[in-house]
Amino acid sequence: MSAGNDKDVLLALANVESSYGPIKAIRGVSLKVRQGEIATVLGSNGAGKSTILKTISGVLDPTRGTVMFKGEAITALDPAEIVKRGLAHVPEGREVFPLLSVKDNLLMGAYTRSDRDGVARDIEQVFGYFPILRERQAQDAGLLSGGQQQMLAISRALMAQPELILLDEPSLGLSPKLTKEIFEIVVRINRERGTTILLVEQNANMALNAADYGYVLENGRIVMEDACEVLREKEDIREFYLGMKETGVRGERRWKKKKTWR
Amino acid sequence: MTSLASPIITSRRPGWVVEQLPFDTVPKLFWQRVQELGSATMMRQKDLGIWKAYSWAEVGDIVGEIGAGLVSLGFEPGQVVSVLANTCREWVWADLAAQSMGGVCNGIYPTDSASQCEYLCADSGSVFLFVEDDEQLDKYLEVRERLPQVRKVIVFDMEGLHKLDDPQVIGLDALRELGRAQLKATPGLLQQRLASRRPQDLAVLVYTSGTTGKPKGAMITHGNICAALAATNNALFENLPMGGERVAFLPLCHIAERMIGEYVSILRKSTINFVENPETVFENLREVQPAVFFAVPRVWEKVFSTVAITIKEAGRFQQLAYAWALGEGARIGQLAEAGRRPGPLQQLRYWLARTLVINNVRRMVGLDKVQLALTGAAPISPELIRWYLALGIPLREGWGMTETTGGGTVTPIGAGKPGSIGQPGPGVELRISEQGEILMRGPNVFAGYLNLPEKTAETIVDGWLHTGDVGRVDEDGYFYITDRMKDIIITAGGKNITPSEWENQLKFSPYVTDAVVIGDKRAYLSCLVMIDEDNVAQWAQDRDVQFSDFRSLCRAPEVAKLIGEEIEKVNKAFARVEQIKQFRLIEQRLTAEDEELTPTMKLKRSLINQKYAALIEDMYSAKAAA
Repeated sequence: MSAGNDKDVLLALANVESSYGPIKAIRGVSLKVRQGEIATVLGSNGAGKSTILKTISGVLDPTRGTVMFKGEAITALDPAEIVKRGLAHVPEGREVFPLLSVKDNLLMGAYTRSDRDGVARDIEQVFGYFPILRERQAQDAGLLSGGQQQMLAISRALMAQPELILLDEPSLGLSPKLTKEIFEIVVRINRERGTTILLVEQNANMALNAADYGYVLENGRIVMEDACEVLREKEDIREFYLGMKETGVRGERRWKKKKTWR
Repeated sequence: MTSLASPIITSRRPGWVVEQLPFDTVPKLFWQRVQELGSATMMRQKDLGIWKAYSWAEVGDIVGEIGAGLVSLGFEPGQVVSVLANTCREWVWADLAAQSMGGVCNGIYPTDSASQCEYLCADSGSVFLFVEDDEQLDKYLEVRERLPQVRKVIVFDMEGLHKLDDPQVIGLDALRELGRAQLKATPGLLQQRLASRRPQDLAVLVYTSGTTGKPKGAMITHGNICAALAATNNALFENLPMGGERVAFLPLCHIAERMIGEYVSILRKSTINFVENPETVFENLREVQPAVFFAVPRVWEKVFSTVAITIKEAGRFQQLAYAWALGEGARIGQLAEAGRRPGPLQQLRYWLARTLVINNVRRMVGLDKVQLALTGAAPISPELIRWYLALGIPLREGWGMTETTGGGTVTPIGAGKPGSIGQPGPGVELRISEQGEILMRGPNVFAGYLNLPEKTAETIVDGWLHTGDVGRVDEDGYFYITDRMKDIIITAGGKNITPSEWENQLKFSPYVTDAVVIGDKRAYLSCLVMIDEDNVAQWAQDRDVQFSDFRSLCRAPEVAKLIGEEIEKVNKAFARVEQIKQFRLIEQRLTAEDEELTPTMKLKRSLINQKYAALIEDMYSAKAAA
């Protein structure tokens, strides 16, 4: 398993298996996210990345294995209970409430809190991160652009004052420029607030630059894990996730090498 | 030292006699079959997911065109072509075409690197090179400056290469086009070239995966192949009908699939079905349901573990039904092994088990119609043979090598002995030398190593081939292998140890793929173990052992304990000096492309010793410190 002091571990999954009906989406996933770091799970379509996040946040109950958060088992707890314990999930495709205003969306994120002053302060803080949301605060969230909705979804998660944010494909459907902006803010949130982040991404290049530690998921199993600066240099990562390959003597190559994951 | 020598042993099985064949070269056999069978199906391969069939006559046309195409480019009898491709229809076409034109065909493993391809092309003196696709072509292009004797490279699949403008590279279709023109100009070409070959002429070159040094090219003549073929109908296929479906998937560069998948299929008038790629073997097997299935032990184990895992995930009722049915099958198997017949009640129960459960399992794995199930190239566990017997599949074992054109021994149907490789095939003479080595004499023994007269002289002495295998023979004429001659370890205490004997016992564990025992000039024995990833991962997952990648699986203390226990189990069967005191797991997942593995996925002993020297030293210093 990954090195490091176990006391720092904020989230730990042990042998987690989850299924959709008879189809096993993740098979025996064990991973750790340490306090204050950005961890990432890379994988192609259907590898089971989102399933991991759904299993952590309680949207999906695992058929096997345990999820530990801050040293306590949160396996298959009610999602609301998990949010109260300090774990927020930014789902794939944003899932903002389209008919509520931006501000109301943010307040929905603070649903489990009762400190109104704190909530007001946090709204100010997220407006600091994403000034466009302040401008649009009275508008229906459904009228925002994709990038703005992503900003709103992240902000909504922050409103729960989480210690850990599960971030599912923030780059989905966004322009490269916007993706870059969003990632910069994600890193800023991590550095400034100390919020731990578990990031799931198909955009391996962005994720490996933003994160500290990475796992590679294929067919529901982790096939590789390491610090991101190490992963970036691995041959299989370069060829299959970063699209950097030697073109060979002919100057072009369409065949794929075999993955070895070492 | 007492002499281990035996007299000359030949087959004692009635009916195991050499057949008189009406041909004396491989292409003559093929063209005879084309004449006889015409529109019957010779081979199938999938195009975009749909099986495409080729009749004998169609293959005849294609082979004629390819051969004539080579001739139009200057191909002369006795010249060599190399084929660098996965097992596929074009491989067989190219082989038959080159031989039909009087040439010699050499195979290169598709997993070989560019520099290995360069060595094989240069050493064999290949004038033409057939490659499968752009991936394999790139290997040639990387080393082409150093291969001036290669005149043209022919690509089977031109996808992605249409823009390539290289006068030295042509597609297979373009070659056939040239061939058609050549055939029009010289209609008698085929007959003339067929007549140019005699039995003592070279047919194929097979490079043996040298565990030390460069690979050696074994020269195999038409006479060798025909001799091996003359032994098959009466022994290997004793009482079996001609024809039937086959699945070919092992590399055709290896003598086993070349003989059994290609030449024996032609001899037996079978239909060859090529798998889509090495990953789809089991799906294709289910689709084809072959009558003959030859595979290496790894594949037979894989079939078993697939069933075991499926049963584990099945419902309680299915699990009980499977356990009951296998129990019935095993009882029938035991009786058969003891040579007794089951009673009527037992027969009825077995019939029920077959109908309700076992036949479904057989269909699921694709072996429902199998008449000849054959394993070879590595030892197989007796338990595994019993499991197949319980399914009603008598798994037979063959022993042979490149240098014997695949011929050697085979277990007779219904008369196998556990742990034995069977009796000598028709025409084969075997004896044990004074040092305990198995020696072979027969018309199937090869003509020597290309360009290596000294190596040839070391291998064939006074007409006897030194197989390098150490073994014994029992009073019924059954042979048993204990080790490879050069693998014998002499410990610091002066004790001779046969490592494979121990390794093979450990390999029978479902959790171990391969192992290498170490201990030459050492105080005690140790070993490096390569785990079976699927089975160990499943085991770990069932027991909530945490792991992520392959390395972390190997490093899990529970896994080390599991393998330790497997080693202890094997140790019990051996004397103290032969026991393993320390072991380490190989933490890297090895694939066929890695130099540590032979093409048949066995660990190369000497290379492992070199490459993992630090790990090995660690085992000895750790023990000393303890």
